[in-house]
Amino acid sequence: MEGRSGKGVPRVNGPLIVQSDKTLLLEVDHERADECRRAIAPFAELERAPEHIHTYRVTPLGLWNARAAGHDAEQVVDALVQYSRYPVPHALLVDIAETMDRYGRLTLSKHPAHGLVLSTTDRPVLEEVLKSKRIAPLVGARIDPDTVVVHPSERGQIKQTLLKLGWPAEDLAGYVDGEAHPIELLEDGWALRPYQKQAVENFWHGGSGVVVLPCGAGKTLVGAGSMAQAKSTTLILVTNTVSARQWKHELVKRTSLTEDEIGEYSGTRKEIRPVTIATYQVLTTKRKGVYPHLELFDSRDWGLIVYDEVHLLPAPVFKFTADLQARRRLGLTATLVREDGRESDVFSLIGPKRFDAPWKEIEAQGYIAPADCVEVRVNLTDSERLAYATAETEEKYRFCATTDTKRKVTEAIVRRFAGQQILVIGQYIDQLDELGEHLNAPVIKGETSNAQREKLFDAFREGEISVLVVSKVANFSIDLPEATVAVQVSGTFGSRQEEAQRLGRVLRPKADGHQAHFYSVVARDTIDQDFAAHRQRFLAEQGYAYRIVDADELLAEG
Amino acid sequence: MSPAARPAPRSLAEALRARDDVSLAALLRSRPDLITPVPTDLTQLATRAGTRASVLRALERLDRFALQTAEALAVAPDPTSYDTLLGLMAGDADDETVAGALPRALATLREQALVWGDDERLRLVRTARELLAPSPQHPSPTGLGPSVQEAASGMSPGRIQEIVTAAGLPSTHDSVSAATALTGLFADRKNMAELLAGAPEPAREVLSRLVWGPPYGQVTADPAAHLRWLLDRGLLLPAAPGTVVLPREVALHLREGRAHRAAEPLPPAAEPAATHSPQVVDATAAGQAYTALATVEELLKDWDEGGPAVLRSGGLSVRDLKRTAVALDVSEPVAAFWVELAYAAGLIASDGEADERYAATPGYDEWLERPAAERWAHLAQAWLAATRTPGLVGGRDAKERTLATLGPGLDRSAAPEVRHRVLALLAGLPAGAAPDPESVLARLRWERPLRGPRQGGEEDLRSRLARWTLTEAELLGVTGRGALSEHGRALLGAPAPAGSTATAPAAEPSAGSSAGASTRSATRPAGEPVGPGDKLPVHHHPRPAAVPAALSPAEQAVATAAAGRLLAPLLPEPLDHVLLQADLTAVAPGPLRRPLADLLGVLADVESKGGATVYRFTPGSVRRALDAGRTAAELHAFLTEHSRTPVPQPLAYLIDDVARKHGHLRIGAASAYVRCDDDALLNEILADKRAAGLGLRRLAPTVLAAQSDPATLLEGLRAMGCAPAAESAEGDVLIARAHAHRTPPRTAPEPVPDGPPAPDATLLTAAIRAIRAGDLAATTPRRPVGESGADSSRAPQTGGALPRTSSAETLATMQAAVLTGESLWIGYVNAEGTASQRVIAPVRVEGGFVTAYDHTADEVRTYPLHRITGVAELAED
Repeated sequence: MEGRSGKGVPRVNGPLIVQSDKTLLLEVDHERADECRRAIAPFAELERAPEHIHTYRVTPLGLWNARAAGHDAEQVVDALVQYSRYPVPHALLVDIAETMDRYGRLTLSKHPAHGLVLSTTDRPVLEEVLKSKRIAPLVGARIDPDTVVVHPSERGQIKQTLLKLGWPAEDLAGYVDGEAHPIELLEDGWALRPYQKQAVENFWHGGSGVVVLPCGAGKTLVGAGSMAQAKSTTLILVTNTVSARQWKHELVKRTSLTEDEIGEYSGTRKEIRPVTIATYQVLTTKRKGVYPHLELFDSRDWGLIVYDEVHLLPAPVFKFTADLQARRRLGLTATLVREDGRESDVFSLIGPKRFDAPWKEIEAQGYIAPADCVEVRVNLTDSERLAYATAETEEKYRFCATTDTKRKVTEAIVRRFAGQQILVIGQYIDQLDELGEHLNAPVIKGETSNAQREKLFDAFREGEISVLVVSKVANFSIDLPEATVAVQVSGTFGSRQEEAQRLGRVLRPKADGHQAHFYSVVARDTIDQDFAAHRQRFLAEQGYAYRIVDADELLAEG
Repeated sequence: MSPAARPAPRSLAEALRARDDVSLAALLRSRPDLITPVPTDLTQLATRAGTRASVLRALERLDRFALQTAEALAVAPDPTSYDTLLGLMAGDADDETVAGALPRALATLREQALVWGDDERLRLVRTARELLAPSPQHPSPTGLGPSVQEAASGMSPGRIQEIVTAAGLPSTHDSVSAATALTGLFADRKNMAELLAGAPEPAREVLSRLVWGPPYGQVTADPAAHLRWLLDRGLLLPAAPGTVVLPREVALHLREGRAHRAAEPLPPAAEPAATHSPQVVDATAAGQAYTALATVEELLKDWDEGGPAVLRSGGLSVRDLKRTAVALDVSEPVAAFWVELAYAAGLIASDGEADERYAATPGYDEWLERPAAERWAHLAQAWLAATRTPGLVGGRDAKERTLATLGPGLDRSAAPEVRHRVLALLAGLPAGAAPDPESVLARLRWERPLRGPRQGGEEDLRSRLARWTLTEAELLGVTGRGALSEHGRALLGAPAPAGSTATAPAAEPSAGSSAGASTRSATRPAGEPVGPGDKLPVHHHPRPAAVPAALSPAEQAVATAAAGRLLAPLLPEPLDHVLLQADLTAVAPGPLRRPLADLLGVLADVESKGGATVYRFTPGSVRRALDAGRTAAELHAFLTEHSRTPVPQPLAYLIDDVARKHGHLRIGAASAYVRCDDDALLNEILADKRAAGLGLRRLAPTVLAAQSDPATLLEGLRAMGCAPAAESAEGDVLIARAHAHRTPPRTAPEPVPDGPPAPDATLLTAAIRAIRAGDLAATTPRRPVGESGADSSRAPQTGGALPRTSSAETLATMQAAVLTGESLWIGYVNAEGTASQRVIAPVRVEGGFVTAYDHTADEVRTYPLHRITGVAELAED
């Protein structure tokens, strides 16, 4: 690629710019952008995908995952050098080579006599990690200078700890097949979309890992597809009961599984069947200092464990998961941003990211609806401003998020889209009750019973109700196929993934292919506005440009 | 070349005297300490060349093979023949490489006046011999012990006779001849082999243990049988009570004649570890050069409004360095490098104020105005010449004080030379070849084995300097991917690379020869090879000095400019556009033109740097731009003009939204205010002409702000007939305006060289002429004044004494000399009372003064007659 037109003329082509902070900037309109994207995808994480320049990040974890997937440092360096517009700093290339070289010095494998062992090709490395206080309790006897026994139950823990020490272990111990159970996809009149197929393939090839797809892009089907590959008993972990029902419904519809083969393990029902759907909540229930439902993991010889909404995986589940390293694990999520910053735990315990598609790309393929995102800025009244200024810090957000003006704006939006399916989403029950009253719409909140919820959802789905006011309980995994407009009046502070989930509510493709609308109503010059900016960041980075309009304008129009 | 025509020199001074100017110049160039101050004559030069300090210095600068040759000479008899020396170096096996390299090494030693005498009678100067010869206190690097003669000197004659007999030799009259006989036996390979053949096995083991040194061993009062066998035959001689030594001759026999276990006649070549295409190397280096500029600018920008404080002990505190490292997003050692580089380039200095801080110099502002390539060249030139070594930062000095960035104790005089040497080695490789650092270090160690030996496990300074040079060159973009770039080569003043010719550096005859060195020295008049008619005993080959000297400032400036010109087209062309995105970022896909970069830097925060720059717009950053005096409309226009894509709505909205609030609150400075409930009175005051000087301004109907201080205001209003009352001084606002902080004009720190600078050709010629003239004065046989020779006390003028003549005689001789145009030898006492001898050619004698051409000083001078102690004519020769 020494494409220099002549001596002294630097080549200015190539779609990629390598930054000193190890981010890669990809110019998407460049003719070689797609080629380049394919070359860097194995080792670089897509971080931001706005309209012109996509940002990828090269992390040690990404490089090690690339090694695990069979790529070597030379390929990585080649990809960078080949597509880079400017010379790549030598130090960075050296660093990449060194980082990748750390992988595989240690391997976890099955020893015929001693069970799980950690062995090394580089003795000083083994000495170094064994000196670590965190490794010491996880290992047993030293078999020979290069090999040490690992307690089988600590397989996940030791992998995670080694990763933190910077010496990731290659896991060659393999997976147990689990108890076989026939599962087939019933592709009658529908088929897995190409990207879903790709996701299933990538996951299966990699063994375990996380699939990231936008809301409404059919993650459940990726789960079903993976089960059809595994053909074994499966444990599915979901966020709540409603979601569990949805999974069950979908699986019965899309696969050869029958109702009787699928069990629900939740607060109300404790069924264990070849395919069992459990909620995180029931797993993490603690009584007298113990987790009584943990036996679920051992109750069957599971061949596959599916984690839905893996970004919400509660901390105790991490711990249990560490013990399940011998089983295939599939994580599903729309947004792998955790506000607690434990993304790396997800990667180390469940597995690396196996598939990721920019939202806009799926939208361009027509699998999710195009969305018009609008931020409406409302002004506080003078008296509200004074009250806001004097409010206690912890009360401030509640105060500005529930300003009266928001009600007026919401009403105006609902009026404008009268006849379409509208969701009004908020955080504060008082505000929602009041909105429900004014909009003459039912309110779904935490205290609403599951039966009542499903009834209302069904009614909404059938079009009997056109406006539904929901609290954050409806954030996850409810399927509202025909919602075309969402109005967000308040949220969980600056949660980026919540924003993405909520937008996801309206992204399911519409029957008539028309645009979805997402309104976020925000109080100007308050922390509500700051939180909104933070919440929108993920979507803005996915290429969803928020238009900002003033409430007065909107009210005047409508 | 044969010295047969002349008698062999009897002393170093005589040997020097026999050398021609070119060869003397070579000596003085390689040992510049000899002409500071310029010696009066060759005898003095020879004396100085034999002083311990000077010899030590010269030895330190020898390459490994020359040093090994000197070491071999030190264990050889004095004087020794070339053949003996060759035997010691090449061994009985007659190593051809050694034999080939030896003349060169010997020539080096001769040139440096460490060895003199012809090939039959080579003599190592005595000081060098003392320094290198083995003694119990200083074991020789050769690992050889004392000779039989030396070791036997303290033994009883009876014991020596016993040994001689035991060794199978006839007994002699005295100890000296016995020792000689023993030496003869030990040096005889055949007889010695026979003797040793009879040695018991353990005895041979003992010998093999001692043969490569150290040659000393311990014995008990009652030695074992095999030791006794050795002691009885003199194969081990007692050195001290309980200690025995292996005599040199025995060791040499066992070593098959070699003085060194491994002679290293050839310099190890710097091995290329990888070869990249020259284009990739240049592009990478240029990219790094650009980064270097950006980093230095960023550093200075960070310090623009007053940098960190200067520690009381000098330098930058560790915390400030950490902070700077974070700001530059580099590691601390790298941050130290940039800071030191900016300092060496004269871009930052201490401002010298009471609370001393570092700040940019006015030179920085000038530097900033220059094109990128020139800016880089400036940095590179400063780096090449700097003696400051940032690599030492964080270490401790001899007094266990931490060495701080910019602090004292960081100067290492060897740094520029090592830097130059390393780069010259790189320049010797084919274009695009990156050397293995270890091979570079090995080469450097070969060239200067004595300099900075390893201390306590730590690498020696030269090796560390070389390592730092390699990293720093990469950081600065002199090298790319470890290989010297085209512009880096130009910086050294080196010509185009060897390229495809790929002459193996090892094959070159000279230790320090490199493409750069040889061409440069060829341009020096003094370095020109002497013709074939050279009658000197010194082999003077047309070869460069062992280490290429740095370029002279003028030459360096030319080379630097050339490097800048080569670099310029490789630097990325600054762009005039950015890409704006809806997530409130802007991406500049390359370096930006300065005004654009400056404004964008104010309007947005930099999020990521490198080939491109990612900016993020935040309310804070937009406010900053508004604070800098921009209006929202200007910002919109600016973004529209420089964006390739439409300005995203959220960004436009952000600017408007921030601008809406901007300036809503107003803040100003006032020194005093006037408050009055009656606004009519305030109207009256404002209208009054006498109030003009008070700087009053109406803020509100009942409030005036004044620029004058309360006391003046009070007085002024009283003068106008009002009766104001002062209020307590609360609410007085003072805003300190930020402005760029600069030191007074500063010059960049001078490099601190080790010893005197290498003299240039003019100085050398002058020095040699002066020495020769002095020598002429000191050694010329003289004819007494007064042909009659009546005064017998004057008649035999001996060499050293000042001539003494009466003033009348002096005057007469002078006048006669003016007429004949002859040169005279005078004794002269200067104003300080120092007596000296001079050779002068009088031109004029008048008014008690004689004007004459002084051969000693090589200029026309005037001497008061009364200070001339005596005069003598020069003997005709």
